[in-house]
Amino acid sequence: MDNTEIITRYLVEEFLPDVDVTELPPDYDLFAGGVVDSLALLKIIDWLGERFHLNLEDIEIAPDNFRTVHAIDSFIGAAGAHLVGKGMS
Amino acid sequence: MLEWTEEQQELRAGLRRWCDALNDGRAERERASVFDHTAWKLVGESGVLGLPFGTEWGGLGQGLLTTMYVLEELGHSCRDGGLSFSVTTHMVSTGVPVQRFGSAYLKDRYLPGICEGSTIGAHAISEPDSGSDALNMRTTATRRGEGWVLSGSKTFVSNGPVADLVVVYARTDPDAGPLGVTAFLVERDTPGLSVGRPIEKMGLRTSPFAEVFLDDCVVPAANVIGRPGGGFLVLDHVMKWEILCSFIVNVGQMRHRLERCVDYARSRTQFGQPIGSFQSVANRIVDMRTATETASRWLYDTATRMERGENVTVDIATSKLVASQANVDTALSAVQVFGGNGYTAEYGLEAELRDAVAGVIYSGTSDIQRNRIARMMGLDKRKG
Ligand SMILES: Cc1cc2nc3c(=O)[nH]c(=O)nc-3n(C[C@H](O)[C@H](O)[C@H](O)COP(=O)(O)OP(=O)(O)OC[C@H]3O[C@@H](n4cnc5c(N)ncnc54)[C@H](O)[C@@H]3O)c2cc1C
Repeated sequence: MDNTEIITRYLVEEFLPDVDVTELPPDYDLFAGGVVDSLALLKIIDWLGERFHLNLEDIEIAPDNFRTVHAIDSFIGAAGAHLVGKGMS
Repeated sequence: MLEWTEEQQELRAGLRRWCDALNDGRAERERASVFDHTAWKLVGESGVLGLPFGTEWGGLGQGLLTTMYVLEELGHSCRDGGLSFSVTTHMVSTGVPVQRFGSAYLKDRYLPGICEGSTIGAHAISEPDSGSDALNMRTTATRRGEGWVLSGSKTFVSNGPVADLVVVYARTDPDAGPLGVTAFLVERDTPGLSVGRPIEKMGLRTSPFAEVFLDDCVVPAANVIGRPGGGFLVLDHVMKWEILCSFIVNVGQMRHRLERCVDYARSRTQFGQPIGSFQSVANRIVDMRTATETASRWLYDTATRMERGENVTVDIATSKLVASQANVDTALSAVQVFGGNGYTAEYGLEAELRDAVAGVIYSGTSDIQRNRIARMMGLDKRKG
């Protein structure tokens, strides 16, 4: 499974009980669609930290990093690279 | 159980010595619903306002747990529940977010006054149409040149009528959900910011709250706490501190209440015996003790794990539920133990009960805390 699929699966399982994994496009606006509210955001941040071994202090929590599955995917890729750069991978 | 060092115990004892002076005239202030600037000055001199803030800004440089331990003493020895509430509101509303997320400029400019108490702090989150659903706020901030223009109105702002500095949460992006809110540090005399009259309320009467109006209020970009769009994360951090600090004060109040009830139950006689020898009275006091200890353990345990960097979302909600309900229950029990005397203003217990009710509402109502726990437990999800 690639990261896009892992993230999609997580979001569907956690926040979209009536939706099939194939029904959440990677460019779907998670804010506009009401998928990511405040508690969901906290859960996602925590999950990203655990699942991708990211230090929460290193996660840049900006809207553009959380708006779509694609955005989350590319930002954890960048955060991972950043950690590798710091010798923490 | 946590064990406190001699240094921590001395810090706590140091605060205790100021409390007699803070208690002078409490009943009259409560009756008149006034915030006492003289008492506030004493609080500032005691050093308590700077407990968790860096020594470079005049604070005492203590961690969360020591701060809570000393604040518990404030609850135990200071009989002015409103004043204590103003203290924790001041500390967590402005100093805590500035120290955690603020720029060097914001820290240098504001933390010294916050530590000293010469600058009184408040925060404005709730609005007439969005309380529990706070992030659905209508107050907006739009970028104009070097600053942001704030427009909207806030309500129930504790310390509002006496504040010099208000952290205002406003929506900066209508399409970014929880990441579309920003925290602004706004000075009281900024043109466009006005504060309504203190709103009369049930308890905590010496801690005034009011509406805050923002009418094209221009705030410099340098006064954003953290990053634009990061207001929810600021608020989440502040709420954790608010719950731990406000409710540990309540634990101190509960301990004092318990001591009074034990004394009274041993000295008051009916049917030729101390009332404490009647099982119903004894059980009521035992339940008070259990509730107090349970609240204390939840709060200190959650703080310990938060300091370790653990995820405490559920534990914060549980601590708040447990402690706020324990405060209401023990306050009602104390009134009952004291009988008719408990119902009189002279004994101060009816005021404690009125004060305690606020705790099941502010920092997220009990219903909202249950909702949070239920969601974190996955109860909103379908199985399979
Ligand atoms: C003493 C005191 C001090 C305060 N200080 C401040 C302050 O300094 N700054 C500030 O911004 N605000 C402050 N507040 C405001 C406080 O945060 C709000 O009152 C609180 O969040 C509830 O919002 P509300 O009053 O609009 O009630 P509402 O949100 O209208 O709730 C009304 C009732 O409906 C219930 N309810 C609402 N939504 C749900 C749901 N989804 N599920 C189940 N039940 C629900 C609530 O639990 C409550 O019983 C203070 C309040 C008090 C009492």
